[in-house]
Amino acid sequence: METVLVVDDEQGILEALADLLREEGYRVLTASHGREALERMAELRPDLVLTDWMMPVMDGPALIERIRTEPAYKDVTLMGMSAVDVSALRRVYPGMPFLQKPFDIYALMRQVRLALDAKRA
Amino acid sequence: MSSSEQPSRQDARVSTGVPGLDSVLGGGLVASGVYIVVGEPGAGKTLFANQLCYHQGRAGARCLYVTLLAESHARMLANMRDMAFFDSALLPEGVYYVSGFRMLEEQGLPGLLELLRREVRNHNASILVLDGLVQAQEAAGSSRDFKKFIHELQVAAGLARFTALMLTSANGPAVHPEYTMVDGILELRERTFGVRSWRELQVRKFRGSATLQGVHTFRISNEGLEVFPRLEARVSRAPPPDPGALRVHFGVPSLDALFPEGLAAGSTSLLLGPPGAGKTMLGCSFLYEGLKQGESCLLMGFYEPPNRLLGKVASAGIDLGGASQDGQLGILWQPPSECVLDILAEQLLTEVQRRKVKRVFVDGLSAIQQSSPDPLRMNSFFAALTQALRATGTTTLFSMETPRLFGPVLDVPMEVGPSAVAENLFFLRHVELDGRLRRLLSIFKMRDTHYDPTLREFVITPKGIEVLPPFNIAVDTLLTGLARHPGTGHF
Repeated sequence: METVLVVDDEQGILEALADLLREEGYRVLTASHGREALERMAELRPDLVLTDWMMPVMDGPALIERIRTEPAYKDVTLMGMSAVDVSALRRVYPGMPFLQKPFDIYALMRQVRLALDAKRA
Repeated sequence: MSSSEQPSRQDARVSTGVPGLDSVLGGGLVASGVYIVVGEPGAGKTLFANQLCYHQGRAGARCLYVTLLAESHARMLANMRDMAFFDSALLPEGVYYVSGFRMLEEQGLPGLLELLRREVRNHNASILVLDGLVQAQEAAGSSRDFKKFIHELQVAAGLARFTALMLTSANGPAVHPEYTMVDGILELRERTFGVRSWRELQVRKFRGSATLQGVHTFRISNEGLEVFPRLEARVSRAPPPDPGALRVHFGVPSLDALFPEGLAAGSTSLLLGPPGAGKTMLGCSFLYEGLKQGESCLLMGFYEPPNRLLGKVASAGIDLGGASQDGQLGILWQPPSECVLDILAEQLLTEVQRRKVKRVFVDGLSAIQQSSPDPLRMNSFFAALTQALRATGTTTLFSMETPRLFGPVLDVPMEVGPSAVAENLFFLRHVELDGRLRRLLSIFKMRDTHYDPTLREFVITPKGIEVLPPFNIAVDTLLTGLARHPGTGHF
């Protein structure tokens, strides 16, 4: 079973995404900011991290930076989501998929599926 | 830096970016102050706080917006994207959104306070918005805990030099005892009168400077909030400029002959009369004369749309169309159904100042009067409006409709006496005499000017207005509208 770590400071979004991903058959971890996400990852390495951008304590960019500099996480797929205009983020993080909030939940599921399939291939 | 070198809090102001609000607040929020914005859901609190953040963000400040609400940031931003002040380029450096909901749920007020302090520091924020204070209040174990939270936030704001805005829905009294320690309380509310509604802002408390007191109207559009300070609170107490010996006329020789010295420039006059008595014609004639003298003029109307009005007065030789097209004559027109008192006053005064207007004709004082649900306010409002107009040096003519076409009773549909509005009073009415319906004009009062008090018939012809000589036969009770020849009893 593939594991997805969802990181978002908005509790409602966090819980909704977790429920939907579980229904899709994933094991789901949750964290409400970057530092908490790193703690979860230390316990169980996820296959994919889906992270919000603006968060307290540790934001999305800082979390991405920490994951990318940690060799143990080099196989972890990263995906961003934000209410900020993500076209600018795509330019800064080429190759990393971003979802523009508010998003279509089916589009999100499709993106997660594609990212994990690509990783397996 | 010693404390004496610190910039004075009174000197440092935070502009809200809401037109009209900074002048209500005496220059804006006081920097490093903690403010509560209270109002029912839909009152405009979130919009106000966002407008302030984007305004400040555009000026280079960093703003931290912390929500304790169920509404997601994405949804909030989706609602903001259509607003003129929204600028996605300011996200996330200029305006940063985080949720404090989970922290509050898990660690209560101490955890929330820690989050606020840390995030302000991390983002070097000078503006903090806490949206959903009512959630924090509900999470507090006691009133004392909540006061402690606010006190500690105030301390943090002073030390870290950020200005905090806490938004809360009105739950019970607008001003809770717990709120008394903050630097200011702004209340936003929506009122209804019949089927109409309008928005009001009141500064319930403000430390640091005087504010414009009372209730101020505001509106919400795609531009965001716009506050219209209560006219009475902002009108200068200074005496109006001395117009000197300047005099103005109507440009109708037979009418001007009734007061040869003319009206004092900068004075206010009122034309009272029933529908069809000729008020609009006389008012437009007054403007026409000003235009011929090269003056900038303004017409404010409510009932007849501009094109219809211009066509109507043109049929009496009063050609305002050219001046309207070239801008010498400004026309402010709006239907009377949705007018709001202070917005009308603001529009009128802004146009008078912008165009450097010398003559203004407000056709339909009743529409202004009816735009307020509070008749007790009219006296002070009209006094303030005329004071503000006098201060600009413009000569003003108001018209007001009296309800009765005929009859011995003279109704003046004002809560206040006409003298509160105008120095000069003209009265028009219809009179039936010798089987003919005639228009009658009389001057009731004229300050600083000698005038002819005789009752005169006047006619409107394709060549213009003409005031006829006094009646050469004895006629009584003309002003009742039911004239009769004395001794005969004949009407």
